[in-house]
Amino acid sequence: MNINLLTCSEIEKVEGSKGDFQVTLNKTPRYIDASRCTGCGDCAEVCPVVLPNEYDQGLSNRKAAYKKYAQAIPGAFAIQKADKAPCRMACPAGLNVQGYVQMVGQGKYKEALSIIMKDLPLPGVLGRICPHECENVCRRAEVDAPIAIRNLKRLAADKIDPRDIGITCDPARDEKVAIIGSGPAGLSAAYHLARKGVLSTIFEALPEPGGMLRVGIPDHRLPREILQREIEVITNLGVELKTSSPLGPEMNIDSLLNGGYKAVYLAIGAHKGIELGIPGENTEGVRQGGDFLREVNLAGKAPVGKKIAIIGGGNVAIDVARSAVRLGAEEVNILYRRTRAEMPAWEEEIQAAEEEGAKITYLAAPEEVLVKDNKVAGLKLIRMELGEPDSSGRRRPVPIPGSEYDIEVDQIIPAIGLRPDISSLKGVEGLNFTRRDTIECDPVTCATNRKGVFAGGDAQSGPGIAISAIAAGREAAESIVRYLDGRDMAEGREKVIKERPDYRPIPKNQVEEARLSMPELPLKDREGNFKEVELGYEEEMGRKEANRCLNCGYCCECFQCVSACGADAVTLVTHAQKPETVEIEAGSIVMAPGFQPFDPSRFDTYNYTNFPNVLTAMEFERILSASGPTQGHLVRPSDKKEPKKIAWIQCVGSRDLNRCDHGYCSSVCCMYALKEAVIAKEHGGSDLDCSIFFMDMRTHGKDFERFYNDAKEKHGVRCIRSRIHSIEPIPNSDDLLIPYVGEDGRMVHETFDMVVLSVGLEISPEVMELAKKLDLNMTKGGFCETESFHPVSSSKDGIYVCGAFQGPKDIPQSVIEASSAAAEAGADLSEARNTLTKEKIVPEERNIVGERPRIGVFVCHCGINISGVVDVPAVRDYAASLPYVEYAADNLYTCSQDTQEAMARVIKEKKLNRMVVAACTPKTHEPLFQETLISAGLNKYLFEMTNIRNQDSWVHKDNPEMATVKAKDLVRMAVTKVALMEPLEEAELDVDQEALVLGGGISGMVSAKSLSNQGYKVSLVERTGVLGGQGLKLFKTWKGEDVHLKISELVKSVEEDENIELYLNTEMIKVDGFVGNFKTTLSSNGKETEHEHGITVIATGGYEYQPEEYLYKKDPRVLTHQDLDKRFIENDPGLKDFKSAVFIQCVGSREPERPYCSRVCCTHSIESALHLKELNPDMQVFILYRDIRTYGEREYLYKEAREKGVIFIRYSVDKKPQVKAMEDGLEIEVVDPILRQPVLINADILTLASAIVPYKDEKLANFFKIPMNEDGFFVEAHAKLGPSEFATDGVFLCGMAHYPKPIDESVAQALAASSRAVTLLAKQKVHVSGTIANINPLYCSGCGVCVSICPYSAPAFIEKGPFTGRVEINPILCKGCGLCVASCRSGAINLKGFGEDQIMAMINEM
Amino acid sequence: MSDQKIKITTFLCNWCSYGAADLAGVSRFQYPPNFRVIRVPCSGRVSPKFILAAFRHGSDGVWVSG
Repeated sequence: MNINLLTCSEIEKVEGSKGDFQVTLNKTPRYIDASRCTGCGDCAEVCPVVLPNEYDQGLSNRKAAYKKYAQAIPGAFAIQKADKAPCRMACPAGLNVQGYVQMVGQGKYKEALSIIMKDLPLPGVLGRICPHECENVCRRAEVDAPIAIRNLKRLAADKIDPRDIGITCDPARDEKVAIIGSGPAGLSAAYHLARKGVLSTIFEALPEPGGMLRVGIPDHRLPREILQREIEVITNLGVELKTSSPLGPEMNIDSLLNGGYKAVYLAIGAHKGIELGIPGENTEGVRQGGDFLREVNLAGKAPVGKKIAIIGGGNVAIDVARSAVRLGAEEVNILYRRTRAEMPAWEEEIQAAEEEGAKITYLAAPEEVLVKDNKVAGLKLIRMELGEPDSSGRRRPVPIPGSEYDIEVDQIIPAIGLRPDISSLKGVEGLNFTRRDTIECDPVTCATNRKGVFAGGDAQSGPGIAISAIAAGREAAESIVRYLDGRDMAEGREKVIKERPDYRPIPKNQVEEARLSMPELPLKDREGNFKEVELGYEEEMGRKEANRCLNCGYCCECFQCVSACGADAVTLVTHAQKPETVEIEAGSIVMAPGFQPFDPSRFDTYNYTNFPNVLTAMEFERILSASGPTQGHLVRPSDKKEPKKIAWIQCVGSRDLNRCDHGYCSSVCCMYALKEAVIAKEHGGSDLDCSIFFMDMRTHGKDFERFYNDAKEKHGVRCIRSRIHSIEPIPNSDDLLIPYVGEDGRMVHETFDMVVLSVGLEISPEVMELAKKLDLNMTKGGFCETESFHPVSSSKDGIYVCGAFQGPKDIPQSVIEASSAAAEAGADLSEARNTLTKEKIVPEERNIVGERPRIGVFVCHCGINISGVVDVPAVRDYAASLPYVEYAADNLYTCSQDTQEAMARVIKEKKLNRMVVAACTPKTHEPLFQETLISAGLNKYLFEMTNIRNQDSWVHKDNPEMATVKAKDLVRMAVTKVALMEPLEEAELDVDQEALVLGGGISGMVSAKSLSNQGYKVSLVERTGVLGGQGLKLFKTWKGEDVHLKISELVKSVEEDENIELYLNTEMIKVDGFVGNFKTTLSSNGKETEHEHGITVIATGGYEYQPEEYLYKKDPRVLTHQDLDKRFIENDPGLKDFKSAVFIQCVGSREPERPYCSRVCCTHSIESALHLKELNPDMQVFILYRDIRTYGEREYLYKEAREKGVIFIRYSVDKKPQVKAMEDGLEIEVVDPILRQPVLINADILTLASAIVPYKDEKLANFFKIPMNEDGFFVEAHAKLGPSEFATDGVFLCGMAHYPKPIDESVAQALAASSRAVTLLAKQKVHVSGTIANINPLYCSGCGVCVSICPYSAPAFIEKGPFTGRVEINPILCKGCGLCVASCRSGAINLKGFGEDQIMAMINEM
Repeated sequence: MSDQKIKITTFLCNWCSYGAADLAGVSRFQYPPNFRVIRVPCSGRVSPKFILAAFRHGSDGVWVSG
């Protein structure tokens, strides 16, 4: 309630400063109303757009309507959209090309046609003859070839008769409009007018309608039945069509306007041929191409000569040629004055003409018609050559002087161009014409200077393409309707063109697929007839072709989801949502933008992009996941074979400056590789061979070293220390070869079925950009820079950071930092605490005690999600027949607002006292229904929800009968259970507003300080006489900060803090009470005081192991880290005189008695080594190690040390270094693993990187009932999700009492512990759940089993009164798990809400 | 016994297995309709008595998951 979740939002800018930030967010639309979405997924089901599923790392597909992953919050779906696809933008009529292509791809031809016919009434016509400008811009061409869009449009119209598509029209109006011309412009205008309720009459001069479509295009390209059928689409709407009705003296514009037509649309086309302008042109045997085609198309034939010359290079010339061939001409010769490259006719048409026998002569122009006996006898031609480009961009043809020649022909057909025939319009008032005889009108509104007269199509533009005329007709219709309404005709009609549109990137590795060509009539079958040549796609071809579409705009706006959504969550309105800008006022900002996994594509020797069985670890994670692409079945991608051998390659994109500029260690990869290997063996069986190739195994986290040992010893994972150079193919196999050098120095070639690349973490360029925008300082590795003593504070005051943005890290550390950032942000806001929070208002509860159960049952359809499988009315009727059921109903969506209101009403009207809802799942919807009960005055526990969707209808789709039986059973069980339900009370308890922090080291001080900053009184208890703890013994942090200086500042601020009461030399001797109400007795120098506090923070720390090995304490030249740091702090002048210094790592750590890594020692040794080198650059410094664990950006120190000459020699645990004390120094012998020879080092000083050990404070563990692990560190509530708190409420944990850690991590956890504590303190009250256990002391035998097994320490022995020795349960501490109930041998314990009687009753009813 | 008549009583922990069963639904995994789920706050709530009772009432199997 107090978290406002803004999804799809990005920070645009941040202004202001700490305490008063103004944040501007860009919020992109979700296109689905999240408040209505039920998460059923019906939209995704029908969505045709298939995209790679990013969550599954592209190993599976998702739709454009999608939910990122099953458990995503919010649970609503969203639609991914970019700008409108280029094909849509290129279409003159703006057809939703992507939409209908997708529909054809699904075989949904009717839906495809409906999308096409929103803009175009002639789908079959344009599906044949459109020059498809859309295909010219298709981005698929960047992969192979454009989608055959036109052919797909035709397929839709072939499959479904467009006359059967229901066209919705507005109610018919009285006004009538006259349209002159029935070509594409006129037809389109009539169609769009009719849809807007304006009926028109089309006057056509010729005896048949269709304009150029009818008389300009021969039947072999556009059969007349197709045109006729689609003209009927328009006339079926009520449009009147009058043929043989030319404009003339009787019927003209004036007579039409005076005769009742409110407007006239001139769409007379351009039918008049342009003359050649050469001598002899009027001789018999010379005929205009347009006239010739008109006769062919109307009469089915026209006179042709034996030898024909066709002049021109456009589609008309080709149509004439192909017609003439069909009509029996012996020689058909097309003469064109340029070359083929400049020919305006379509290439496929030119090819077809040639195939059919037409010849083409290029670079020839006619000079004179040769006449004999008043008839054409031949043609004088002149050869041309190409000169400079002309205004059209094509090279201008220039005659070659003296190159004239004659050819013999008996028919000449000029086809060099057309223009409108305006003879019937000359002299009409208000009409003007251009030089090219076209009608002048407004380019946007199509209005001429004559009021009510509009013009368009070829008559306005000159000869153009049909789809442009269709567009013109639609625009004219819009203008005419506005004109009739008296509205502004131009408003809002400017075309907005985005300069750099945002499209789906073309996928890398998109597989090439050939564009499918159209089947054609064989050549021999074309002779002497006008049968259609192109035969159309078969269905299968069409689907295949359509599925080549790249979906440039993601969502194709087919709106199938709109029809599918029963909850009205996605509508045409939500589809039209626009991005918005959101302004937020904030006092503090927490940044948690995370990381991206490294993309290994750029490592060519690993062949990630070439070999399908080379995967990233993220991909492998998905393969292992039960909800992943293979449902957790471990198979390799190439052939779905179960692998027998898998290799992991570590440090891909980490610890690598040469190939990826990531010098840091990603911290998490060693551990995740081990985890994946162990899980892979669980999935794939123990004979699966798992090998991890690593440089240093970095298992420095809590319990990680144990996991590493188990992986090797118990699970048999092979860990091989070797850096892999390349992954090679094995010919004729999908297996992979890894050549490597083994630890024995020999070259090995090993074959694997799969290779997993353990990719590192990196900050994405987008996040880098954001950091730049916010002016945050970044580190060398590209992470957000922070200081050790302020690990979550960015360089900008008031902006806090957490997670991998601050540095590569695992989940526990990220969760710790998240709490730390909340603590810091909260401290800044503490004065304003609770001023903006909202609280629920609860109406008075009805007392139902003594009432007989009156149960209401609501059975949900969930749209069709449940009722599509389960017979919901039958379940409802069945429910009504059950005992105590007073009311049963079924609802379309039980969760909808109106059903909730109905439920509250029914509860009151029918005096119901218990409710059952059979619907989706209680995990998501129980709280919603309980709210409704509360609002109706019922106790919220008088409710039971049963799951008939997620666990019934969705999983038994093929068995509706049994699914219905199951639903009935589940409803019966729920009714039985709820009948036994009693109202439960949720008690409240005040929380004492004081805190007690135990431990005065860095963690304790930071925690106390943070609690004080957030406004709480703190008692800080320290067993010694000084504050500072182990920190006092340290020299510098790994970032180079002076620890002493920082600690003294911290101590000062603690001492001066009025909220902090300091107890030095003090021990805790007794603790009573529990969360919110602790009573602790402290003892200081024998003086006991009692303290009351609401919460406790345990920060008791650890200490340095005192080694017994390597002559420590036996030889003064052998030191520990803290000993050496002491000398650094004291600036010991003798240090720089040493000639040789040695460090030995893992002293006391990673040993059988202490099988954990102490985390800090590698970095500490390297820091100290570097300091020694600084003091004396000539000093020889050696570090003897097992694995160097400089995780995160500490890796840079390791690199620096090597660069400065520190020598690192690895030793193995079974061959530890030997140290001998000599007079002139220490003699240290170590076996070098590379030389495989013992090496002797003479050292002046030996520093032991000794372990960090915990205090193992059993007393403290007992006081607070907090667990300790076998090493003596305290065990947190949850390793990942609750790292800074205990399972025992009100007790928190930080610092080295949890696990060894460096200062920055201790500070982070100290802040986290205080943050977690404040979540309790700030509420001021603890709420007790209703579903808790209680003990009947009369039955209790006092055996104590419940006391020992409860993880929350809720049961305790009664110490006073009649039931002394028996057990009672503290309701505050009880979490209601029921462990004690099941364990009680006396049956004394009951769990409210999950009572013995209730569960038994459910079992009885099964 | 026909497959349809087999009855398996299932106790699922609210926090893990019950959520997983929901997830199986979201992922549309198909499985036989013979399970009847009783949601419990923790698999630790399941007493041996419940298992015996389930068998006594004709269950062919009992599955406790948590």
